[in-house]
Amino acid sequence: MENLADYKEIVELIKEQGGDLFKRCFQCGLCDTLCPWNKVTTFSMRKIVRQAVFGFTEIESEEIWRCTSCGRCPQHCPRDVRQIDSTIALRRIANEYGVFPTPVQPVKTARGSLVGEGNPLGEERKDRAKWAEGLSVKPFTEEMEFLYFPCCYLCYDPRLKKVAQATVKLLQKAQVDFGILGEKENCCGESIRKTGDEELFKRLARENIKTFVEHGVKKILVSSPHCYHTFKNEYPEFKVNFEVIHISQFLAQLVDEGRLNISKELQKKLTYHDPCYQGRHNNIYDEPREILKGITGAQLYEMPEHRVDSLCCGGGGGRIWMETPKGERFSDLRIEQAMEVGAELLVTSCPYCITNFEDSRINLEATEALEVKDLTELLVELV
Amino acid sequence: MIKVEKSVPLKEKIHQFFKDQGKGKFGDVMVLGGGISGIQASLDLANAGFKVYLVEKSPSLGGKMAQLDKTFPTNDCST
Amino acid sequence: MVEADRHTNIEIFTYTEVESVEGQPGDFRITLTKKPRYIIEDKCTGCTTCVENCPVLIPDPYNQGLCTSKAVHIYFSLAVPLITYIDEECLYLKEKKCKICEAVCGNQAIDFTQKPERVEIKVGAVVLAPGFEIFNPGLKNDYGYGRLPNVITSLDFERLLSSTGPFEGEIRRPSDGRHPKRIAWVQCVGSRRVTPGDNSYCSAVCCTYTQKQVILAKEHDAELEATIFHNDIRSYGKDFEPYFKRAENLPGVRFIRSYVSLGREIPETNNVTLRYATPDQGVKEEEFDLVVLSVGLNPPADALKLAEKFGLQLEPHGFCRVEPTNPVATNQPGIFVSGAFQGPIDIPESVFGASGASSQCGELLNYRRGKLVKEKKYPEEKDVLGQEPRIGVFVCHCGANIGRVINVPEVVEYVKRLPNVVHAQEQLFSCTTNAAKEIIDMVQEKELNRVIIAACSPRTLEPLFQDTLKEAGLNQYLLEMTNIREHCSWVHAKEKENATEKAKDLIRMSVARTTVLEPLREIELPVNKTALVLGGGIAGMTCALSIARQGHEVHLVEKDSELGGVARRIHYTLDGMDVQSYLSDLRSKVYEHPLIHVHTNSEILEATGYVGNFVTRVKSHRGTAGIKHGATVLAIGSREYTPKEYLYGETDKVLTQLELEERLATQDEGLTGSQTFVMIQCVGCRNEERNYCSRVCCSQAVKNALKIKELNPEADVYILYRDMRTYGFREDYYREASERDVKFIRYEPDRAPRVELVSQGGKEFVRVAVTEEIVGQEFGIDADYLVLSSAVLPAKDAEAVSQLFKVTLGPDGFFKEAHVKLRPVEFSTEGVYLCGTAHFPKHIQEVINQANGAASRVLTLLSHDTVTSSGAICVVDEDKCVACAACMTACVYGAIEFRTVGERKAAMVNPAICKGDGLCNAVCPTGAIQLKHFTDEELLSQIDAAGQEEIEEEMEKAVAAM
Repeated sequence: MENLADYKEIVELIKEQGGDLFKRCFQCGLCDTLCPWNKVTTFSMRKIVRQAVFGFTEIESEEIWRCTSCGRCPQHCPRDVRQIDSTIALRRIANEYGVFPTPVQPVKTARGSLVGEGNPLGEERKDRAKWAEGLSVKPFTEEMEFLYFPCCYLCYDPRLKKVAQATVKLLQKAQVDFGILGEKENCCGESIRKTGDEELFKRLARENIKTFVEHGVKKILVSSPHCYHTFKNEYPEFKVNFEVIHISQFLAQLVDEGRLNISKELQKKLTYHDPCYQGRHNNIYDEPREILKGITGAQLYEMPEHRVDSLCCGGGGGRIWMETPKGERFSDLRIEQAMEVGAELLVTSCPYCITNFEDSRINLEATEALEVKDLTELLVELV
Repeated sequence: MIKVEKSVPLKEKIHQFFKDQGKGKFGDVMVLGGGISGIQASLDLANAGFKVYLVEKSPSLGGKMAQLDKTFPTNDCST
Repeated sequence: MVEADRHTNIEIFTYTEVESVEGQPGDFRITLTKKPRYIIEDKCTGCTTCVENCPVLIPDPYNQGLCTSKAVHIYFSLAVPLITYIDEECLYLKEKKCKICEAVCGNQAIDFTQKPERVEIKVGAVVLAPGFEIFNPGLKNDYGYGRLPNVITSLDFERLLSSTGPFEGEIRRPSDGRHPKRIAWVQCVGSRRVTPGDNSYCSAVCCTYTQKQVILAKEHDAELEATIFHNDIRSYGKDFEPYFKRAENLPGVRFIRSYVSLGREIPETNNVTLRYATPDQGVKEEEFDLVVLSVGLNPPADALKLAEKFGLQLEPHGFCRVEPTNPVATNQPGIFVSGAFQGPIDIPESVFGASGASSQCGELLNYRRGKLVKEKKYPEEKDVLGQEPRIGVFVCHCGANIGRVINVPEVVEYVKRLPNVVHAQEQLFSCTTNAAKEIIDMVQEKELNRVIIAACSPRTLEPLFQDTLKEAGLNQYLLEMTNIREHCSWVHAKEKENATEKAKDLIRMSVARTTVLEPLREIELPVNKTALVLGGGIAGMTCALSIARQGHEVHLVEKDSELGGVARRIHYTLDGMDVQSYLSDLRSKVYEHPLIHVHTNSEILEATGYVGNFVTRVKSHRGTAGIKHGATVLAIGSREYTPKEYLYGETDKVLTQLELEERLATQDEGLTGSQTFVMIQCVGCRNEERNYCSRVCCSQAVKNALKIKELNPEADVYILYRDMRTYGFREDYYREASERDVKFIRYEPDRAPRVELVSQGGKEFVRVAVTEEIVGQEFGIDADYLVLSSAVLPAKDAEAVSQLFKVTLGPDGFFKEAHVKLRPVEFSTEGVYLCGTAHFPKHIQEVINQANGAASRVLTLLSHDTVTSSGAICVVDEDKCVACAACMTACVYGAIEFRTVGERKAAMVNPAICKGDGLCNAVCPTGAIQLKHFTDEELLSQIDAAGQEEIEEEMEKAVAAM
């Protein structure tokens, strides 16, 4: 029998690190029923929460690292336990003690790279704008309307560079006044914060803010919903307010205003995957669908879990850097769902989702049957 | 919104009451809502010597309880 | 409903809304708007010819849109008034086409020119009872309601269960009409959630209505599997806990502690899967044929408008803001509230709240009581003595309740051939106002002198039909009811032909009895205008005060030396009421009231008499007095259980909640300086010995935990519970306690907490061991104080009082009311009422509500000069009586005594006390006692008629054989 008095200090520590709201839980279990992990294995958020309430958290276990911050459980939690924020508190403690279970080890590499080069991918800072070579993209200056902030993955990842390139082609076609900051920018810091490294997040954010302010940035156009989320909802913690626009919103506006004309047909069956940080966290559901519905010939099918109920790809909460064994990857399920509704093309607008879906496509040997594209990649072929 | 008028002593109230008695729709209590609670209030009042107007917005008395099949624990009819 | 409709002092306006209100208490001027029904109310007979011919189908609002109705229809089959109205979907109203109804109506009752009509009424007070709105789960759409056909609400399911429902009482599911075999109920839909669009409070009724639905569904189909997903079962009300146990113990019923999320719909079957969490086996996904959402209660839809019109304040959830010390009082004097507009409450609370509101009106308007009312006038009674019996038989369909099983037309044809029957007919619902008129008309037309209603049990509706006979000019004892529902169609639902034959047999027997029925006289008894209230706690004082304020003398009898009862040990409530100052205020109001006589240190020696005329002998230090009174209220309260468990009494570290509260109220430093408190719930109840929930302890624990936290925010408070039963708005305080870091740990009764006294480092504490099931670990908590939420027990003298006043106790030892839902403040013994915790544990606000309710019921008796006693009572044939006294022992009411007849003694029945239960005539060895209305002759002729048919058949066969 464990005496609760011996665990009081841990309880206090968890509270200090931001896990105070665990106390609200009345153990209804709803979080567990909604959690995508329970589609692939057994995982109990409720247990994480209750352990934390009494100080029984197993800080060295992999469990506290599972949450992908997809946002399903906090959205429905009847007691507003705010599972995402609360779980980060536990990860902060793990950071403090430097305990990382094997699948979480790659986070350390990502962190090192973020500290040194401002991106999590082990790439050099000076190469950050290489993707734009030959596209005559201008560096951002104060008189420009938009800063385009492409996300580290779009800058360096060979697959995702195509998305950045498609994006600027569309912007140029619509004669949008924009520029980029290239090597002056840092990773937005959204995901590293979710791994519990608050200090590094703050450093990245402050540097970015400094750069934005120095360059007179007012409106930021982003490709990644993660950048969108952190700029829009977390940077204001530093007393700044930029106007942040996600590319899917902006494209819908451009099409609507006639600045982009979808002239070509597409005889294909499509489905749209709502990225967690675009949909659940930021309520952008309609704009991408409006664009897809405007494509002549294309048929839009909805997967059973869509919009607020969208199934996470598994890449949020820092999981994009961690190892997820085969058979436990949500993205595999999502690819299957897409094929079940008869889609030939899975469209989405998040670099993490695309990364995971491309992996699953290959693993599931579905490369023939299903294509995965960013919204911009699809659109650039049709205008 | 009720216009608040200054309160009147009981004597005057009684006087007013006898003046109004017999004129138009003149009663003691209006009960608004013809569900179980409204009906019970009306019956109690009527049986204790008051004239009651029972006002219900739907086409019938009964309220929600009339939609119930039977009630706990006796399984009596609700209606 | 029908009773209200037929009451001479109630005028009903249906399809009517309040437009404006002005004035002040005693003189409100209210403008009403009667919406056009497009039906002339006086002309419509409810014949439904128009309904049959109407071409427009609309979703039936009464049946939750589960089936269709017509644009012109009667709201539901038992509607009051039982006439049609025309819905806005009508073709003529929308497109100026059709008017078929107008053409087919034989009574020229259709009037499309009707416009909204304004009516001004003047009244002295207002009672608002607008009810509640059902939470609409389609808005948030967490569970696919409105999108998946086999996901329905509990109210939809209620309609499925009902014989007047879309499938005539068969449980069929919407997608394909199949009988579902696996049904899931999802609790707390829209309730106990802080998520936007939901309500944070507990709706207080869903746990128990779900259990009712489970039990009824299992009755419909014993093979059916029922699964209830919940997070705390809140069986806090009277008789709720055994009911829960009953549901739980049915085969194929599972209660699973987990909220659920929607899995998916299976396209081939339209079945639905739900996902639920288990502590040890992870998340499971299970398939169901039908999912029922146990939806909660919202404030009435027009709450805001009402608040504006009447100048009311609403509380934060949108219900009416009421005084904590008087839950029927609004912020506007003269405007009272009752029912679910007070907040989410169950039917008994709605009923006594209604009575409470009526009592408040009575206090306000006592000066004009009786001035505007009319007595009901009956025609002179026809003398039927010596006439040949002319019997009319009315066979009721009871909607489909009877008609679906029994072939009613066939029965009617059969009955017409019986001797002395001059008229027989069928009726859809004999209990409606229109049907009553039909009966009266037939009595006149066919000169009937006896009437048989073949319908339901006489228990509920006999008084109504007796009244109908009086209106027809017949003595009400010339009525006979044949129960062809409970005794026939319900129990033989699967054997239609045999049920029809049995119905014929039963009616034939009734005819035989009816032929020899005699008219009986009822006695008018004078009513003594004084009341006696036993028990001087909050309930007794509140009730006494309300009766006195309505002009009646009250004797308030308390066994203790001062007034206040158990409330003297309660100091504050969850919503911040200062109980002691309320109590002292109440006490002085009681002492100051000229019509209240307080008897403290008093005990009851003897209680005799009967409704309107009781004599109670009270002994005090002043001597013994015989008090004459017309009504009795028993408000003797309750007491706290003295625990035998958990080291109570062995150390001063273990307290009860009341002891804790007393010490918190004095800010006892030994207590406020302590670090760790553990509370254990359900001590002494919810067990084999006491199979009930004490209702108040969960809120009490939360209240005291919050108090501890208020006095010392650093203190650690643990509440070990089985189900948190903070029903209604109390849920908000449960959540607040969590917010203040009070820790809640659930335990199962078979793994109850273990406690031991431990000394460590010169300090003594109670070590409590409890297993937390989610963490899967046994915790030890070293408590400075262990607080036991001990059960509420009936008062020590409950048994003695029940014998003195000849009232009954329930299985839990609390007083048993006449009807748990519909007559919650009175006993079956006439003239005796109850309120407060003697009825069942309850919160102070509920006690006040109920005490005012009891006062209202008392007034319905005391405001009359006389009361009528039944004619169906026992009489003694003194010549046959041998004075053996067997009858006197048998009578539970003490209605029989000896009197001297000439040289000897003979038994005599006091007609005012006799309840006509017949116990005495069953034991009488010489047959000297007869129960009128149930005489040997009447019963024997009924019994003889049972075998008659067979004899006749035998004879016919014999004749044929010859």
